[in-house]
Amino acid sequence: MSSHSLNNQQRSFVQKLLRVALYTILIFMAAVYLLPLFVMVLNSLKDMEEIRSGNLLALPQDPSFAAWAKAWGSACTGSTCEGIAPFFANSFKIVIPAVIISTLLGALNGYVLSMWRFRGSELFFGLLLFGCFIPFQVILIPMAMTLGWLGLASSASGLILVHVIYGIAFTTLFFRNYYIALPRELISAAKIDGAGFFLIFWRIVLPLSPPIIVVTVIWQFTQVWNDFLFGVVFSGVDNLPITVALNNLVNTSFGGKEYNVDMAAALLAALPTILVYIFAGKYFVRGLSAGAVKGA
Amino acid sequence: MANKRPFTDILAESMPKLVLAPSFLIVMVCVYGYILWTIALSFTKSRMLPQWKFVGFDQYSKLFNNDRWSVSSENLIVFGGLFILICLALGIFMAILLDQKIRQEGFLRTIYLYPMAISFIVTGTAWKWLLNPSIGIENVVRDWGFTDFTFDWLVNSEMVVFCLVIAAVWQSSGFVMALFLAGLRGVDSEMIKAAQLDGASMSTIYRRIILPSLKPVFFSAFVILSHIAIKSFDLVTALTGGGPGYSSDLPANFMYSYAFTRSQMGLGAASGVIMLGGVLAILIPYLYSELRNKEAR
Amino acid sequence: MAALTIDNVKKSYGPTQVLKGINIAIEKGEFLVLIGPSGCGKSTMMNSIAGLESVTEGRILIGGEDVTHANPKDRDIAMVFQSYALYPNMTVRGNISFGLEVRKMPKAEREVQVDKVAKLLQIEHLLDRKPAQLSGGQRQRVAMGRALAREPKIYLFDEPLSNLDAKLRVEMRAEIKKLHQRLGTTIVYVTHDQIEAMTLADRIAVMKDGVLLQLATPQQIYDTPANIFVAGFMGSPAMNFIEATLVNESCVSIQGDGQILELPLLKNESNQPYIGKKVILGIRPEMITEPLSHKQDEECVKVVTLKAMLTEAMGADTMVLTTLADKEISCRINPSYKVSIGEQCEFMFDMSKAVLFDPESENLI
Repeated sequence: MSSHSLNNQQRSFVQKLLRVALYTILIFMAAVYLLPLFVMVLNSLKDMEEIRSGNLLALPQDPSFAAWAKAWGSACTGSTCEGIAPFFANSFKIVIPAVIISTLLGALNGYVLSMWRFRGSELFFGLLLFGCFIPFQVILIPMAMTLGWLGLASSASGLILVHVIYGIAFTTLFFRNYYIALPRELISAAKIDGAGFFLIFWRIVLPLSPPIIVVTVIWQFTQVWNDFLFGVVFSGVDNLPITVALNNLVNTSFGGKEYNVDMAAALLAALPTILVYIFAGKYFVRGLSAGAVKGA
Repeated sequence: MANKRPFTDILAESMPKLVLAPSFLIVMVCVYGYILWTIALSFTKSRMLPQWKFVGFDQYSKLFNNDRWSVSSENLIVFGGLFILICLALGIFMAILLDQKIRQEGFLRTIYLYPMAISFIVTGTAWKWLLNPSIGIENVVRDWGFTDFTFDWLVNSEMVVFCLVIAAVWQSSGFVMALFLAGLRGVDSEMIKAAQLDGASMSTIYRRIILPSLKPVFFSAFVILSHIAIKSFDLVTALTGGGPGYSSDLPANFMYSYAFTRSQMGLGAASGVIMLGGVLAILIPYLYSELRNKEAR
Repeated sequence: MAALTIDNVKKSYGPTQVLKGINIAIEKGEFLVLIGPSGCGKSTMMNSIAGLESVTEGRILIGGEDVTHANPKDRDIAMVFQSYALYPNMTVRGNISFGLEVRKMPKAEREVQVDKVAKLLQIEHLLDRKPAQLSGGQRQRVAMGRALAREPKIYLFDEPLSNLDAKLRVEMRAEIKKLHQRLGTTIVYVTHDQIEAMTLADRIAVMKDGVLLQLATPQQIYDTPANIFVAGFMGSPAMNFIEATLVNESCVSIQGDGQILELPLLKNESNQPYIGKKVILGIRPEMITEPLSHKQDEECVKVVTLKAMLTEAMGADTMVLTTLADKEISCRINPSYKVSIGEQCEFMFDMSKAVLFDPESENLI
């Protein structure tokens, strides 16, 4: 009897130890994931002298937002020295229409592919799905030529068009996988009630769509905001997106490296997507992981 | 019979097709058409502008004799292999740890996942700094008194590719973790209870029951990760710029630089086609197994 | 003129034929129940009437008008779905009035109509709630309300009660019956529950594998099933089937266990060709009871001694499982008649409603 209870005590001690180890590992991992962000924030608040002489993990002795102000308004990115503010605006000018159009098209396509299937629609879905996976390098040259012929080369509208074209595969996939889980009888009921294609979409399906709209908008926003390849290939001097500008800024050797400004600029460039992630990430992960596990 | 039907009825019936038509056109032209176009270009001697003089497989033989291309494709194999392996291992590991009824799970998950929201350009910039020997981690550890410590992979052409792996794993492993966590939560809890009653230990249950049932998640994660690996372009540009020399180039960078900055369109097109071939080699077996599973169901 | 005519309707998905030439005509105000095991084609039939699926061959007429190729909205029908299919984003009021709104009924009329239907179904207090806030039974009522509001020519019910618990199902069944009697509506009702079919239907259509096996009143289906399948499908517990030999027009013999048991039959002309041949005898459990003194002298009654194997008390009756000629036979007795398991007991066979089937074709003789 007594040996038995001792055994139990030992066991619970081992369990406790395991729990401690578990939390230690998890917290350590969290620290590793946070490290780059932490270091960036820390050092964007230092001046260059302190960075050069000190330790990058040391707290700033005299925190100042001077580097942030410079990154925003006066740092040199390639040929101009106006900070990253104008490129921030460029990115928004591209992202907002691209996200809206591709989401809308994805919703309509997903609606057809889940609820108005016809002979060949599944084949089309398969063809479209493949578009999610192609390496864009294989379409860059023809796209550049097409944009040239359309007179859209180096224009914001050209970049929007490219983002819409290669975004609809994903947006359609998201909406289709979401709509396919809606009960088919809902559509039958609406048909019998006399509603047609667009009325059913507008009055029945769209009001049920906010969760997937959130997922799609966040996905597209992050994709387009974070895009570098299309930006560097298709945009002209006047409408470089933020990612290209940031890369230019970091690689401009003009007047010596200013790491604090680089860090501040990088944080500014990452800010919109991080904010979106913090405020709406919960819904996104829920939707995306569910969709990716069963759908893709 | 068909003639008597009013036009509005016919319009209403073809509405789904009409709605799908623009996307269909876009996909057929801008995905499949452009792929064929690129393939065609890869057989020409196009340089700055397309020239429709066909030269057979010349560009491909030039490509495979190009040292920069061999370096970049070897890099891709090392980078892709390690990146996928580490992401999967780390993702499963952290998902299992997080699945142990952890307090503050949501908070921890957010921390593991936030790099996903950041662009590779920002990731590259941040890690470029951390990995820089004179101010980054090497400097910090020397500051702590370990004066012999060296961590100079970023400037070492033998090791630079591992820097890419570190940064890419940091960015993507949280996402893999989230996929597996969702999968773990989807495992039938009665199955686990049954195994516990059968006397299986928790590690046996994970090894024999839970992980095998996550095969589809494993597959999805693999495909997504290999896709990220093959199109990794921005990370290299921001983190190493392909250097030192071209020792950290990946095929995506090779293609960009030959097609758009070095006016070797034909060679660039050929490299793009090979990249597509690589993706297909991974994708087709995946799609095949998916389809077969669907039929079996 | 029939309210609904289904004229030789066939439907195939590729090589598989799911409807193999169905013919049904329904009168105005009739309540028709389509019943059959899952996969028999009853749901396909229903969807074809609604216009949600197209038919491969044949015609569908509603009120004499050919609607075979018409859209669902042009058929003047309403449907109640198994899952109710209420629009989750609309209130109950919105759900009921949606069909009217789509058909451009003026707002004032719509409101009158919604109030009328809500009162009829006693859901006035729920009108401003969303479907998610309703119980299963309430959702069911709203789904019916949505159908009733439009006052269509034909109502289609697709297993409307199968998502309700047993008690509620009985209540709603009575409710539907009352509504039908009060409003005189024409209803086609799909179910796999034979009690629902028996209690609700004016006529029952039994389907199997895309074929209409029998179309008749509930009592006809129960008493003279067209074949062994219908006989076994309708009625619970199921009819007993016993291999037997027809001795003459008014006698069958059952062999087995080294015994020969002869049972009387009502004289029937159509039995003649089978004299001396094997037949399948069908007799419902309630026709095998404890010996009843007031019936024992009747023409087709015989008392037999059988061994009781198992008893199941059901309250009003007790089911007894016995063996006769190596086959299990279920009997329905009064609980006061004491039967001990493993003992020989007396049972009374009332053969007046016994039926015979051809063992080859399995059809009623």
